[in-house]
Amino acid sequence: MKLVMYNNYQLGLYQDDQVYNLSESLTEINAPTPQDMINAVIADFEGTYRARIKEIAGKVQPIPMDQVHLRPPLPRPGKIVAMAANYFENGALSEPKPLNGFLKSPESVIGEGETVVLPAAHQAAVFHHEAELGVVIGKTAANVSEKDAYDHIFGYVNFNDVSARGLHPTSFLWMKSHDTFGPMGPYLVTADEIADAQNLQVRLWVNGEIRQDYNTSDMGHKIPKMIEWLTSILQLDPGDLIASGTNHQGLGPIQNGDVMEMEIAGLGKITVNVSDELNREWHRGLDSDMADWVAGRSAEPPAWAKR
Amino acid sequence: MKLVFFDDYRLGVLNKDETRVIDMTLTLEEIPRVGPGDYMCRLIEKWDGYKLRLERNMLDMPGTPIEDVQLRAPIPKPGKILCMAANYLENGTLKEARPINGFLKNPSAVIGNGETIQIPPDDADIFHHEAELGLVIGKKAKNISEDEAYSYVFGYTNFIDVSARGLGPKGSDVFLQSKSYHTFAPMGPYLVTADEVPNPQDTNVKLWVNGSLNQDYSTSDMGHSIPKTLAWLSSITTLNPGDVVALGTNHQGLGSLQDGDVVERETPGLGRLTVNVSEPRKRKWARGVDEAMADRMRG
Repeated sequence: MKLVMYNNYQLGLYQDDQVYNLSESLTEINAPTPQDMINAVIADFEGTYRARIKEIAGKVQPIPMDQVHLRPPLPRPGKIVAMAANYFENGALSEPKPLNGFLKSPESVIGEGETVVLPAAHQAAVFHHEAELGVVIGKTAANVSEKDAYDHIFGYVNFNDVSARGLHPTSFLWMKSHDTFGPMGPYLVTADEIADAQNLQVRLWVNGEIRQDYNTSDMGHKIPKMIEWLTSILQLDPGDLIASGTNHQGLGPIQNGDVMEMEIAGLGKITVNVSDELNREWHRGLDSDMADWVAGRSAEPPAWAKR
Repeated sequence: MKLVFFDDYRLGVLNKDETRVIDMTLTLEEIPRVGPGDYMCRLIEKWDGYKLRLERNMLDMPGTPIEDVQLRAPIPKPGKILCMAANYLENGTLKEARPINGFLKNPSAVIGNGETIQIPPDDADIFHHEAELGLVIGKKAKNISEDEAYSYVFGYTNFIDVSARGLGPKGSDVFLQSKSYHTFAPMGPYLVTADEVPNPQDTNVKLWVNGSLNQDYSTSDMGHSIPKTLAWLSSITTLNPGDVVALGTNHQGLGSLQDGDVVERETPGLGRLTVNVSEPRKRKWARGVDEAMADRMRG
């Protein structure tokens, strides 16, 4: 099943290029905010809402997808927990880097057709895209073991962990949490539609040119391990998002006027724009110094990391 | 006004002499909410429409003696907890503030008065208390200026930024492992509106472990002032009603937390927050102030 948010944050079912309105029928859900609505559906999906949604879709008149204004499917997750440096970099590393992660501001989320705004107040050395598999939590999860991890997953979504480099002191808050730095969508796909989340091709284009093109099989700490680790620290709740990290082979600058497209097999394609009122300019294409450094091919960090 | 959650997350107000809790559940009935997690945030959002009614009820209703209720954390699950890092001049030993820095703390980590900090089994070097002044946002704030910053503040509460040291890869930002463990955000006992805190930039922060005073400092020693902090944070991420900003700690006075400890935290006008510590591995660390840490942080 594919869930969308659209227009004034109506919850919908996406099927055969059409959207079925669910919010108007799910009046029993107490949801002061759009996120509360989708959280409630996620939290009781197998018990109630999978069947309810099918029933509603059999009754309501669908709207063609091209007539709706899509919104991010999780407009404001309770938490976004992101994994840091969690890929083998196309097998260049012999073992994963030590487990690490961070919280990203839930305010950072934007959806299809929206714009990543590079903040004028912050003189980053460069701004990067980071295409990532987003894992959406389905059940309250604390101290979950690897073997039970997949039971706690509701579904998957495209996520772009936009990053500002070279702000000092280096901190994930300053690097990752700017408003609009979390493009997500176009829809949220339930886990049963993804045969193997650990074998999905992730692609990201800037202005039509492919930048990132990697498989989630290259992930350092696999999804069960990351859920075990994260839930040994904090409790994850239905509707929380884990950004599972990016492969840095393929990162490159984003700048004013750019169009970013991102697609993971089975999760659809999300397109967002980039704006920068300062019109800062960087070279086009890949940042090979970063790629070489993260992959261990070069001991020399990128210039912005040296201060 | 002093706002409290009590018993099964009923929302109330303390009377003037702080001896009784007045239940405001009926007055606040129509506030849309999912549960305790978002209730206080929604009230703050709609504060102008409720303030007068709450003040009137405070005078009209008898209330329940405070010792007969169980107080809860005033904001059980804030939208965000933003913390400032190394934001004190360490009793004036630093000539200038360290570069501005901060992190997000797990909003599900909040506990309230009488609850227990659960120290995890992980092999940290030590677990520390960090007594901090907690500030609560009153209005949506994005790219605000220092001049207008205080108009975005709803109120204040006692906060403890419990911290694990030495976990995670060296040389990286490891705030997730050091700060976001479940129960690592004690807060309360109540939320005090800003009008009752005349000078948040010159008030006292105290913390005791088992009755022994470890932290005792003034917020006048803060490196980046409250307006500067709010302007910086809001230049990164939108702040919303009910978001908590923990303003950082003075490291002269941090100490270990271990099994069976009782931690008390007080700032004038904000009441006293008492929480317990549980550590199933019963590890032992030095008692009293961690002087090595204090030394490292001094200028």
